Amino acid sequence: MTSQAVCLIFLLPFSAAVAMPMLGAWRRSWCRPLALSAVGLMALFAFSACYDVLTQGPVRYALGGWDPPVGIVLVLDGLSGLLAVALSLVSLACLFFGGPALPKDLGSKVVPYHTLVLLMISALAGVTLSGDLFNLFVFLEVSALCAYALVGLSGGRALIAAFRYLILGTIGASFYLLGVGYFYAATGTLNMEDFLNRLPDALHSKAVLTGLTFILLGLAIKAAMVPFHGWLPDAYAHAPDAVVPLLASLVTKVSLYAMTRITFWVLGASPLTYEFPLLFLLSMGGTVGAVVGAFLALTQQDLRRMFAYGGISHVGLIVIGITAGNQTGFSGGVFYLANDAVMQATLFFIAGIIMYRCGARDLNQLGHLGSQMPWTSAALIVTALSMIGIPPTGGFFGKWYMVLGALEAKNYLAVAAILSSTLLTLAYFVRIIERMFGEKPSNASAAQLASEEPVEMRVSMGALAASIILLGLFSDRIVGLILRSAVPPGLG
Amino acid sequence: MFENLLSPNFTTFITLFIFGLTIMVTHHNLIKKLIGMYLVQTSIIFFLVTIGAKSGSTVPILLSAAGPIEPHVYANPLPHALVVTAIVVGVSTLGVSLGLTIAIFRRYGSLEEDEILKRLE
Repeated sequence: MTSQAVCLIFLLPFSAAVAMPMLGAWRRSWCRPLALSAVGLMALFAFSACYDVLTQGPVRYALGGWDPPVGIVLVLDGLSGLLAVALSLVSLACLFFGGPALPKDLGSKVVPYHTLVLLMISALAGVTLSGDLFNLFVFLEVSALCAYALVGLSGGRALIAAFRYLILGTIGASFYLLGVGYFYAATGTLNMEDFLNRLPDALHSKAVLTGLTFILLGLAIKAAMVPFHGWLPDAYAHAPDAVVPLLASLVTKVSLYAMTRITFWVLGASPLTYEFPLLFLLSMGGTVGAVVGAFLALTQQDLRRMFAYGGISHVGLIVIGITAGNQTGFSGGVFYLANDAVMQATLFFIAGIIMYRCGARDLNQLGHLGSQMPWTSAALIVTALSMIGIPPTGGFFGKWYMVLGALEAKNYLAVAAILSSTLLTLAYFVRIIERMFGEKPSNASAAQLASEEPVEMRVSMGALAASIILLGLFSDRIVGLILRSAVPPGLG
Repeated sequence: MFENLLSPNFTTFITLFIFGLTIMVTHHNLIKKLIGMYLVQTSIIFFLVTIGAKSGSTVPILLSAAGPIEPHVYANPLPHALVVTAIVVGVSTLGVSLGLTIAIFRRYGSLEEDEILKRLE
């Protein structure tokens, strides 16, 4: 009797998503409780499954009873367990935040919003659990389709942004599928573990090299690594307030997770040696991304665009950590990935609340808001400390381990990139905070504040801001967990 | 390696793929972009069918339950399962993108990207 918890992690939000349109036609007010309880239950199952994995070792769940490598298998090991927990908690907070943000900017679209969000969460959970290359593609595409529709949900400019996102996202997905085709042609298997076992024989085949180029390119587009980040700022700047935190915190991070999974668990990056320095090339991509993203963030006037470019630079940082080629850097990168999901969600909660209360999205309209919105500015300061990397917060410890990892790998360029992106991050947050606590603007546009933000918004923002500090306080335990159970085999 | 490049299926796949990508990137009409996208998806499906093809084999249903199973008689069913799923994914992508295009046309009254951008300002 195998435990069904693994399968339930992604089936719960999926069945709720299927039930949602029917329920919505009958009682619209029940949508939100159903969505929240489905994701809450999912978080419980993720917790219990992750606990089992950490105490008793990885779980393999053969779907439909077909054993791997013939059937499709869901794998829950340390890495995917920790990711599933982070994913369900962050998405619970995003759903809790999203409800009250809805009526103002989505009108009657409550039912499609909840359906799409649940479907996206279940597909993202599927990506973290999948142990099959093609199955991973299907889950990635389901989550991406939901993301396109969610971006375009509010109409207007968002439609154009969603269309561009769709075009680039589909190019990424096609590249990934093509790469999977090459992998299958070279080895005759799609199961990740089986692939890794057969790889040493096929290591120098041109098909494997072509396949891995296409797969990593496709995932780099999905994860918005720097030369391929064009779709992201527009999509995040125009998507509805209730949607952006979910997209920013989860979609790019889960693509990054898929990239990690494939680099180490499918391609066996460090135990096997390729004809070219695979990890070094990836880390160069991250290096460029970390600096360029932070620099572009500094030049923005729009608050949400600034946060979006900040997210791009953090994607680069995570890639540097994960591809450092040693355990220290890897665990730092994974820890930072979880951290970044929380930080991005909090940042876009803050942008959403500012938008809700005074309709401001430009930096110049922020004048004097600091004293009028004490909760929001407190959360902003905590998140800023973490994004910059100042000790009591989670961001500092992630960066610390990544710098240690890069030093261990003698990759001084990466160290320089981490430090300079830190300085640039400091610079753009100083710009925001200076405006918020600065002089009143000459025009009184920002003076009329709407009533207080709904208590749900404040609670979810506060909870995530508190968890940033908690992540920092318990960082040694979490990194210890990652080191014990989530590091790829053979990483020195 | 050149005999691979000259095989007609591979040449067709490369041509369709590059045509599709070029159309997606260079054309300004939204529908033409989608046509390019569909070409790219079709070319990859064609590629998957090609690597799964095996001449002189039959459908993967056991001919008789008695006796040992001879795998070389049957075609490999797995690429076909992949192709069916990839087609479904492609169709749903096309559905979402056409839905977005209709919404854009209703809002801005045009399908040309330059005109839409002009109307945005």
